[in-house]
Parts: sequence; C-alpha cells; structure tokens
Amino acid sequence: MKRRNILLSATMIGLGFASAAFADGLPPLAQKDTYRVGFAQMESNNPWRIAESKSFVDTAESCGWELIATDAAGSAAKQVADVESMIAQGIDVLFLPPREEKPLIPAVKRAQAAGIPTFLVDRSVDPNAAVAGVDFVAFLGSDFIKQGQQVAEWTIANFKGEKGVIVELEGTTGSSPANDRRSGFDDAIAADPRFEIVASQTGDFARDMGRQVMETLLQAHPDVNIVYAHNDEMAIGAIQALELAGRKPGEDVMIVSIDGTRDALQAIIDGKMGVTVESSPFFGPLACETMKRYAAGETIEPWVQVSDRIFTVENAADHIDEAY
Amino acid sequence: MSMTTSEITGKSMLQVLRGHGGVVALVAILLFNMAFTPNFFQLQTLFVNISQVATIAIVAMGMTLVIATGGIDLSVGAIMALAGALAPLIFLSEFGTAYPVLGVALAIALPLLVALACGLFNGIMVAKLNVQPIIATLILFISGRGVAQVLTNGNLQTFSNPQFSYLGTGKILGLPFQGWLAVAIAVVLYLVISRTTFGRYVLAIGGNERAARLSGGPVARVKIGVYMICGALAGLAGLIVVAINSASDAARNGSLMELDAIAAAVVGGALLQGGRAPIFGAILGAVIIQLVKYTLLANGVEDEVALIAKAGIILVAVYVQQARKE
Repeated sequence: MKRRNILLSATMIGLGFASAAFADGLPPLAQKDTYRVGFAQMESNNPWRIAESKSFVDTAESCGWELIATDAAGSAAKQVADVESMIAQGIDVLFLPPREEKPLIPAVKRAQAAGIPTFLVDRSVDPNAAVAGVDFVAFLGSDFIKQGQQVAEWTIANFKGEKGVIVELEGTTGSSPANDRRSGFDDAIAADPRFEIVASQTGDFARDMGRQVMETLLQAHPDVNIVYAHNDEMAIGAIQALELAGRKPGEDVMIVSIDGTRDALQAIIDGKMGVTVESSPFFGPLACETMKRYAAGETIEPWVQVSDRIFTVENAADHIDEAY
Repeated sequence: MSMTTSEITGKSMLQVLRGHGGVVALVAILLFNMAFTPNFFQLQTLFVNISQVATIAIVAMGMTLVIATGGIDLSVGAIMALAGALAPLIFLSEFGTAYPVLGVALAIALPLLVALACGLFNGIMVAKLNVQPIIATLILFISGRGVAQVLTNGNLQTFSNPQFSYLGTGKILGLPFQGWLAVAIAVVLYLVISRTTFGRYVLAIGGNERAARLSGGPVARVKIGVYMICGALAGLAGLIVVAINSASDAARNGSLMELDAIAAAVVGGALLQGGRAPIFGAILGAVIIQLVKYTLLANGVEDEVALIAKAGIILVAVYVQQARKE
C-alpha cells in the first residue's frame, strides 16, 4: 500500500513535468550532458552481435553516456533479470534488443513503469502485447522483408541465364529475420517466371550448417545456379561446399545474401559472391541521435528505420575496411 | 515336421536380424535412396557423406571405448570447441605467421595435447575421485566451451591457411582425408581392443568392475586412458571441423556432438552398461545417422523432422539390444 502511494506520488511529480511526449503515456527524458544508459545485449556468439555491442561502447563517450552493458548469453530469462538490475541501478534510458518476442514484454513494461524511456533495438516484441509509442518509445531496426526484396530485385536484374534454379538457405527456424527474409525474397522472385526455388532448408544462420546443407542440396539438385542465403555466414559455407564439389561460385552459381560482413565483402571482391544487402549492426550513432531527439521533446516515429546499403563488386572494396 | 523347420528358420532369421540390425538398416536406407533420392549413386554423394560423417565417427569411436567401461563422456563437444578455438590462435599468432610450417604443426599438436589433458581431467575425476561419469564430464561440458569463448572473446575466427585446411578438405585417391583418418583410427582401436591387455581390461571393467579390481587389474589407469583417448579424438574432430570451414566458431563447434556420438555408439551396438566395444559398429552407427539426415534433407524434409527420425533410430536400436540381452 505504502509502495503504491510512493509510486503514485512519483507519477504525480512526473505529471508536473508533462511534455508533448508524455501526453501519450511515455516517460519524459530531461536534456542533460550525461546520461546513465543501459544496453542489455542478448548474446555475443556471432560477429554481428559483437559489432553491435562494440558500436554502443564506441558511441558512449561522444554521446555523453555512462554505459551499463550486460550480456544475457542467449537466455531470455537472464535478459529480463539484467533489465531489472539496470532499473535498480537508476538508468535514465534503456536500449534493449529483445531476444524473443513475448518473454521480454514484462521487462519493457517494468522499465516504463519505473519512468525509463525504452528503445527496442534490431528486434521487436509482440505487437499485440506492447506497442511502440505507448509501451516503449520506438523500435530501431532494419526492414527484414525489404532486405529479402532487395536481394530478389538484384537477382532478377543481374541474372543473365534463361532459367534460375534457386536453393534457399534459411536462418534459425521461427526467428523473425528468417521469416521476413524468406517472405520478402520469395514474393518478389515469384514475379519473374524465369526463377524457381527448388529447395529451401534451414542452415541456422551458421557457416558449418550452411555448408553441410548446401553439400546435400547440391547433390539432390545439381542444376542449381543461384544460392540465396539469409546471412553471410551461411553464404560463405555454401561457397565452400560449391568449391569442394568442383563448382565455381560466382561463375556457374550466383551467390546472393544479407548482412555485409568482412568475409562476404572479400568474397564479392574475389568474384565469388554477387551481392550482400547490408543489415547494419552499427546502432550506436542512431541510438544516440534518436535519444537526443526524444530528450528535445520530439515525437519519435514508432519504427526508426535503418537505411541499409547494397554491397556489390562496384563498392565492396570501398567498404571492406569498415566491415566487421 | 515341416512346421518345426520353418519355425527354426524363422527364429534364426530373427536372430540374424538382431545380430546385424545395423547392417540391415543400412541396406534399407541405401535401397530407399536408390529408388527415391535423385543423383544418389555418384562418387560426389559418397564424398559429401564421408566428409560429413568423419567427425561423428571419430568422436563416436572414443565414446564407444568410454561406454565400454560403463562410463559416458558428455564433454566431447566442448573439447571440440576448445581444440578448434586454439588452433587458429596458434597459427595466426606472430610466431605462427613467422614460421608457417612450425605454426601449423603446433596448431595441430598443442590443441590435441590440451584435449588429452581434458581427457586426463575427466579420467581422474571418474577413476580416482569416484565421481559419477555423467557429473564428472558435465564439468568440462559446461566450462570447456566457456573457456573456448573466452579465449576468442566469443568472436568467430576466420582464416585462410591451405596447409591446415588439408585436415578437412584434403583428398587421397579422390576421397576425403578425414575419411581415411577415421578408418585408420578404427583399425588401430580395433587392434588395441582385441589384441592388447589394455583392451581386455576395458571390456573387463565394463563387464564387472569389482571383479576386474579384485583380480588385480589396473582399473584406474585403464579408465583414465580411455577418457584420454576419447578426449584426444574429440580434439581431433574439433580441428577437422575448423579446417573444413576455414573458421572457428567456439559457440557452435561440436554443439550437440555428445548426443550424436552416444547415439552412433548405441546404434552401433555398444551397451550403456559397458562390456562391449564395437569399434566398427560405431562407424556403422554414425553412417546410419548421417545417411538418414542426408536422405531427409535431399528429399526436402525439414531438419527438425530429421531430429525426430534420429530419435526413432535410437529407440529401435535400444529395443533390439534389450531383446538380445534376454
């Protein structure tokens, strides 16, 4: 009872500072020189996640962040606990890449209740249970469907043959990037009758599994001449599988993918890979900019889209130094 | 009279089936593939399957020895990750790039020594401190991968080193190097089990450890030796995976390998109570599991279904074993 009174009075004080943003229920953020910022990473077992965490650390100084970063090591339960411990440490702002769509919703709501503006990064939560602009400020991330579409468009424009026989290497079954990258690509490629997807199997976003699946699918479908992988690691695995089987990736098989890792850009420069659509992990600067806009009282759009570039042989060499 | 004859033939047929369940299953899978899988009977199919099965087979042979003593080793996947993480660290180091040949040699030798040491740790826990094998090896199962990830900061290490990659991509007489390696290891282990006192003691310990101890056998030493062999073979498999991929992924290298290896050993005829060490059976088990995975994948069945099929095979294998015991 007593605690509720304190909460209530805290809310009343909060209401005193009511700003434009607060009108729709979001906690306000004061304009200050330094902020205590929480970044609750989900796991650190792949280059993309590591690059993302590093981007936040690198941005901290220039943006005036006192950064508290945690690593949930692949456990949604630990990620919830990490957020709670950050709330206890009195952070001003929370950046959260929710590992799974539903389990992280309590954490988002608790941060909101504690008056901490929350931004979701690179993955979102179940839109039926928590809404951007109401339960959290905004979602910062790429459009996975568009990434798939862009790969399909590039493939349609650059495939010279008469019949495109496609093998698709999917990401982790049931994850949102895998679902969206598949539907984006499949719908766009269906518009051109030259193309047929003969096999679509999961490679779990990993190089080793991508290679093994590709080796098998190549035997079952030796006429394949296009491989679409949902990320670069699987694409590199597919290139290795093709080379082991005596095929020439880049010449008789076109490889298209998503991410923009260093190995993929090198493969493009070496002529083995056609295109990789960037899925940028460098969220630090965007997070800083969005947070400052919010502190200045701007209403943030519910989905702050990351502009992803397209890497081909024309620009791969220019960007390989900044790749991760 | 004719009734009894047919009964007898029926009975012996069943016994033959039980005695050679693995071979029967293998023939059945091959027949199925001949009929349904496109381009199955090609040299390249053989090549792909050998290169994919070799690591499971190598680990399964070590596991078979451990199981023969009545133990189990859950740490093989973690040891793979550890050995696999060490190798690129060594040949990518300043020393390794300055002396490439020595660097690659050390990148193979040192991780294998570390894997041996892991096996020694497991063996001492089990044989000297009398910790249950499942708990003793759980320690490295958890911490081994952690150490591998700490060593590499969790980063995927990529490299291009043709000498080292030969472990995973080399060919002898048109077939993968690691396949020949697996066969060579199998022959050596078979001779060790069937011709040496060490081999006799492995089976004796599994059959009746108390009796083996009371008859003055070096039970502790033999057990430690078995875990060391298993560790070293897991380390070798870890190096092969890294060599094939030209990348070391501490988070994934060898993940769930312990289960594949145990499954292969059991399908191959190892008894979890100990006392049997069918080395070539382990290879047969690994091949069956690999072929089922290949068959389902090549015919467009989801990977998740393949996992269920794998479980089904283990179930049948255990059933056949139980029947054999009676």
